[in-house]
Amino acid sequence: MSGQVLVFQVLNGLGIGMIYFLLSVGLTMIFGLMRFVNFAHGALYLAAAYAAYVVSLLTGSMLWGLLAGPLAAAILAVAAERLLLRHTYAMPHEAQILITFALALIVQEAVILGFDAQAKNVPVPDFLAGIVFLGPFVYPAYRLAVVGVAAVVALLLWVALERTRFGTILRAGSESTEMVSLLGIDVHRVFLGAFALGGGLAGLAGALAAPLRGVDPFMGEEALGIAFVVVVVGGIGSFTGALLGGLLIGVVQSVMSSVWPEGARLMIYGAMALVLLVRPAGLMGRA
Amino acid sequence: MMMRRRTLFGMGAGLLAAPSLARAQAAPLEVAGVYSLSGTFANVGDLLNKGTQMAVEHYATAAGQKINYTLLDDQGDPGRAVRLVQEAMGQHGIRHIVGCTNSAIALAVAKEVHARGGLYIHMAGADEATGSECNRSSFRWPGASFTAINATVRPFIQRNPTAKRWYTITGQYVFGDSLLSNLKLVLADTGHQLLGNSYHSLSEREYSGYITAAIAAQPDVLAICNFGNQTVDVLRQAVSFGMKRNVKLVVPWSTGLDQYQAWGADICDGVYFGVNYWHGVDAPGNRVVSEVVMQKTHAATNYLQACGWAVMQMLVEGAKKAGTTEIPALIGAMEGLVYEGPTGTETIRAADHQVIKDYYLMLGKARAAMHDANDFAEVISATKAFQRPELTGCHMA
Repeated sequence: MSGQVLVFQVLNGLGIGMIYFLLSVGLTMIFGLMRFVNFAHGALYLAAAYAAYVVSLLTGSMLWGLLAGPLAAAILAVAAERLLLRHTYAMPHEAQILITFALALIVQEAVILGFDAQAKNVPVPDFLAGIVFLGPFVYPAYRLAVVGVAAVVALLLWVALERTRFGTILRAGSESTEMVSLLGIDVHRVFLGAFALGGGLAGLAGALAAPLRGVDPFMGEEALGIAFVVVVVGGIGSFTGALLGGLLIGVVQSVMSSVWPEGARLMIYGAMALVLLVRPAGLMGRA
Repeated sequence: MMMRRRTLFGMGAGLLAAPSLARAQAAPLEVAGVYSLSGTFANVGDLLNKGTQMAVEHYATAAGQKINYTLLDDQGDPGRAVRLVQEAMGQHGIRHIVGCTNSAIALAVAKEVHARGGLYIHMAGADEATGSECNRSSFRWPGASFTAINATVRPFIQRNPTAKRWYTITGQYVFGDSLLSNLKLVLADTGHQLLGNSYHSLSEREYSGYITAAIAAQPDVLAICNFGNQTVDVLRQAVSFGMKRNVKLVVPWSTGLDQYQAWGADICDGVYFGVNYWHGVDAPGNRVVSEVVMQKTHAATNYLQACGWAVMQMLVEGAKKAGTTEIPALIGAMEGLVYEGPTGTETIRAADHQVIKDYYLMLGKARAAMHDANDFAEVISATKAFQRPELTGCHMA
């Protein structure tokens, strides 16, 4: 592999990594705050992608779709939390996994019933349909825009978590929900807010991914697999870890596409195993 | 006298009707379809199954026996497919099996059906199905990877003589490898250069790294050796990386209309596709399929529906020729059978049980050139490109 190809692959990997960050940050946030294992995270991503697809069809503009996707996922997350998941917080993780997995299957089958099992195309917004030359490197304009959105989201999330009262409560809640509760804060409302935010972030990832890969009913389970790898690599519950984990996994996957193409996917898990050997709690996790 | 005439007329009518009554009262023909209605290949299995069901409803009988259709959902698992077939044949006495969602399932089921003395008509893509793994019980409708490559790459090369340098992105499994090995032979035979190949796993969904590697090799042509949703994703991402600017894109195996719809016209424009079926082909057999599918779904027929239809039609046509659904006679009648199928006049080759039919090279149209919502591509060539029987490796067991 030449030096130029290596640079191409690293740059491309950073782009993939930002998309993976967006995909996984909601999952890690919910677990970090609530110690809740949400296997329905991929279903929120799926629902948002289809919402974006439908709205873009109806309005003829993917921009409306990009707004509708996160909104739909946030509403679905709130409804699921209020009607079902709040009753499972006291249950063991195994029960939460089973219940959220069932929820994911219900959403997936509902999508198949409502549409069909075939993949659908979601057009890239016209003004982002071309390519961008970064020196000798060619990159799709839309992919670059997604990376930009992910970077902005990362910055806004950091500000929200580190510089606002809501963020302070979330961080405190992740340390000790009992203590936050004793301070007179309604933890259930905080949980609901976190779930809506986590769902909205999964939805944003789904809506942004729709023009990149189209939509199909099985995209949720694929996304969930990657999201878990990123969360584990980064350290469960760590916002910074999700960012670092996403970037690491993206770069490994992209570089290995040239070094050992048939093993590129496998090396995602290889990287995860290596990180866990060196740092069992993940890159930014606390033991 | 009048009474006597009436009585005689009634008796005569009764005698005339007797054979058909006897036929109508014959035991129904039990046919099982092996498809993946859940799991990774559910989007493929669903449409294949619908095509078969529509054919069952349309033909209704085979050699005078009413067709009863049972679906076996293998969930994309060859092991489960074999277990379901064992149960259907062993416990329910079903002898006539059709369908498959991928080659691995077809190859596993073919062995089982043959061992149990049944008949199996499928749509596997791997060459082995009518090659080294062939048997007397199994028949295949679509052209396989040899056909896909030879019927697309050779006419493509004739149209694009200056496109000499090729790069391939290949799904690493039986069918992807089969496409790649056939492509290598054609390129070597025509003096073209294969710059490199990127294999990817079947679980891969992010292809930008492979596409970056392909761009770095600076090929004239990028060929995608795979099928299904992965092909859809690879092509979509290749186009998004601007490869259409200076690279010809060739998809030797695509499913046609349903994939064109998944890509949209902007992606299809200028891309070369190989397809086993196209709804726009004017042929008597295709008119029948198209009318039924249009009536049922209010949409044009896609490859998967046509494929599901074709395997059932082969059974019905074979039974019609044999006059029975008894397995040995049916197999004998199907060998050399000529009938009007979805691609025109189709012939079942006796030597390897492969249906000899057209395979199409298509070129994606610009959106402005489309005459209707389904007019994504034009047929550039229709070729019956099949490996010679003596070279398939088939020794009929």
